[in-house]
Amino acid sequence: MGLIKGIAEAVMEKAKHEVKDYLIKFMEEEKEKEKKTEEIKKEEIPAAVLKESVKAEELKEEDDEDEEILPLIESEFTKFTYKVKPKDFTIPGELADIIKMLPVEEFACFIKLMMFVFEQKKNFGYLGNTLRRKIGLESFENEKFDKTVENLEKYGVLKVEQVSDNQKTFILYVPFDEETMVKAEYQKPEKPQQKKVEKKPVKKVDEEEKKSVEKENDQQDDIPGKAVFGMENDDLYKSYRTFVSLEIDKAKMRVGRSNFDKIYMEAVKYIDKKYGFKVLSDSEKFKEYLTNYYISAFDIPTFEAWKKTKV
Amino acid sequence: MLDSRILLKSLNDLEVRIMLCKSAFEWELLAKKYVDVESNIKNFFKKKKIPENFAIALDRLRASLVQKKGELPPVDLSDFFK
Repeated sequence: MGLIKGIAEAVMEKAKHEVKDYLIKFMEEEKEKEKKTEEIKKEEIPAAVLKESVKAEELKEEDDEDEEILPLIESEFTKFTYKVKPKDFTIPGELADIIKMLPVEEFACFIKLMMFVFEQKKNFGYLGNTLRRKIGLESFENEKFDKTVENLEKYGVLKVEQVSDNQKTFILYVPFDEETMVKAEYQKPEKPQQKKVEKKPVKKVDEEEKKSVEKENDQQDDIPGKAVFGMENDDLYKSYRTFVSLEIDKAKMRVGRSNFDKIYMEAVKYIDKKYGFKVLSDSEKFKEYLTNYYISAFDIPTFEAWKKTKV
Repeated sequence: MLDSRILLKSLNDLEVRIMLCKSAFEWELLAKKYVDVESNIKNFFKKKKIPENFAIALDRLRASLVQKKGELPPVDLSDFFK
């Protein structure tokens, strides 16, 4: 019995040592595993950080590209009008060489703007809310259109001027040609002089001629949209135009959208019948006659009548 | 040489495009096209009277252009008064 007990104790002792060794080994293996995973993590983190930093750099570069648009030319912007509107729309060679370097969207926008102002015999216009639609860039979002115009300004082929709090104008860079163009800035001071020159011969003409001139003037006064000769700078006339605009807006609210559309339809038919299709397709003239129609339709006082109430 | 059938076809094409027109900008382009085609027809028949089918097609086209202009949203006058 004593021998068996001794053997059993010896086996137990050995088993204890083996278990102890096994546990120590197991613990060491676990520690090594943990170390390895920590090392892998450490290796992965810098890679991710690197990736992120590369991405950030790329974004930065993109932003920089957006911001760092260098002008294609150092241009002087002159507002001009054509002496006689050329038969065909042409792009001067010098300008073509410049704008062909523009990105496609800026290029399209520039050409469309140029064609739009060309129709009005000039190289400038208002940068209003409806411009995008007028030039046929409805597919552009407002923000995108603003950005494109901004980029064009950065490229140095367009200049935006803040005329008043709400009004902006744009000037396109088109090489000035003395033979076919006249600088628009020089025309402004001439207007009051022209008015005086017009008045003098009127005093000298016979009574009959006087009457006919007065009649013509009366007829001109009846068209509020029409730029009455020498009246563009007249504050009274300007305020009358504002008054007409407000009255039309009021009438629009009063009659409702569908009725206003019907009135517009009638106006279009009336203008076509009375003044011809050419007036209908000429946007400026059409606006003149449309305003006149609204004045008649909504009983808005004429300039003369309105002036009397003001004096 | 310009064939009268080409002119008649361009009138018909224009009529279809007017039907599909959806914006004032598009309308202006079509109006210009109409004026061009009209002058082409007048030039083509300058020595003779414009045939009835052409005259009718031109009238119809003009009427549909006027109708379409009236149907499009009213012209915005806000710029005009500035």
